[in-house]
Amino acid sequence: MEKVSVWSSNRFWRRSATWVTGVSAVLLILLTFDSMAQMKMGTAADLKNKVDKRIPSPTVINYKIDYQLSRARGHEVPIIGGMDANGKSKYEVKEKFFGRDNYSEEEARTLIHKGKLTIQAKNCMDCHTFLGNGAYYAPDLTKAWLDPTWETLAPAYGGKEYAIAAFLQNPPAMAMHERKMPNLGITKDEAKAVVAYLKFMSAIDTNGFPRNFGKIKGAVNAWK
Amino acid sequence: MCIEPCRDVVCTFWSILNQGPMTLTITLHTLIVLPMVWIYFDEKKKMERGDIPTE
Repeated sequence: MEKVSVWSSNRFWRRSATWVTGVSAVLLILLTFDSMAQMKMGTAADLKNKVDKRIPSPTVINYKIDYQLSRARGHEVPIIGGMDANGKSKYEVKEKFFGRDNYSEEEARTLIHKGKLTIQAKNCMDCHTFLGNGAYYAPDLTKAWLDPTWETLAPAYGGKEYAIAAFLQNPPAMAMHERKMPNLGITKDEAKAVVAYLKFMSAIDTNGFPRNFGKIKGAVNAWK
Repeated sequence: MCIEPCRDVVCTFWSILNQGPMTLTITLHTLIVLPMVWIYFDEKKKMERGDIPTE
C-alpha cells in the first residue's frame, strides 16, 4: 500500500475548512435568533404573571427595583417588586414614581421613549455609558437609578425620582464630582422622562453588569 | 445531579447547553471535530486507493 500523508493534502484541509466555516455560520445564525428572543421586551402581562424577562415591560417603573446578589447565577441581578425566599423577583411591591404607581403600558412606553429621545438629543453618551456603550468620562448610567446617593437625597426632595430630576435640570447646582456635569437645559418634562428611562434601564438583566454596583466607594455615593 | 436546572433568565436550548464550559466544549467538539476525524480517514482511504489525482 502506498504511504500517504493526509496532513499535507490540500483536499483534507479544504474539506475541513468548508465544514468548520459551514457549521460556524449555521451556529451564528441560530445564536442570532436566540439573542433576538432573549432581547424581546416583556409586556405588562408578563410583569403581572411574574414571568422573568431580560428586558421588562416599561410598566416596570410602577415597581420597586433592587439589585441583589444571586448566589445561583454568581452575580447581581435586578429584583423587581420585592424578593422571594429563592432570591427571585416577586413583582408585588409597587413604588410611586412621581406620585403614581399605575402607569399604563402606553403611558410608560411614551414616557420612556421621550426619555430615550432626550438622552439622544442631549448626547449623554458623549460623557456617560449606557449598558456599557458610550464615553468613559462620566459614570456608567445603567444602574444609576440604584445609586445609593439618591436614597440619601430622597427625603429632602420627596422621593429619589424628584432628586434625580432636580439634578438633571441644573447639575452644577448639585455637583457631586470633580468632573462637573454641565447644565444641558433639560426641562422638567424631559427630566421626568429621563428618570423614567433610567429606572426602566436599571431593571434590565445585564448578567451582573456593572459588577458590584453600589458597593465600590468612589464609583457611586460620591458625597459620602 | 448530573444536569443542573437552567439558571438563565429566559431558558432556551442554548442556555441549557451552556451550563458551563464543559457542556459547550463537548457539543462543539461533537459538531466540529468529530466530523473532521471522519474527513481525515475518508481522505486517507481515497488517497491510499489512488482515487485522488496528485495536485
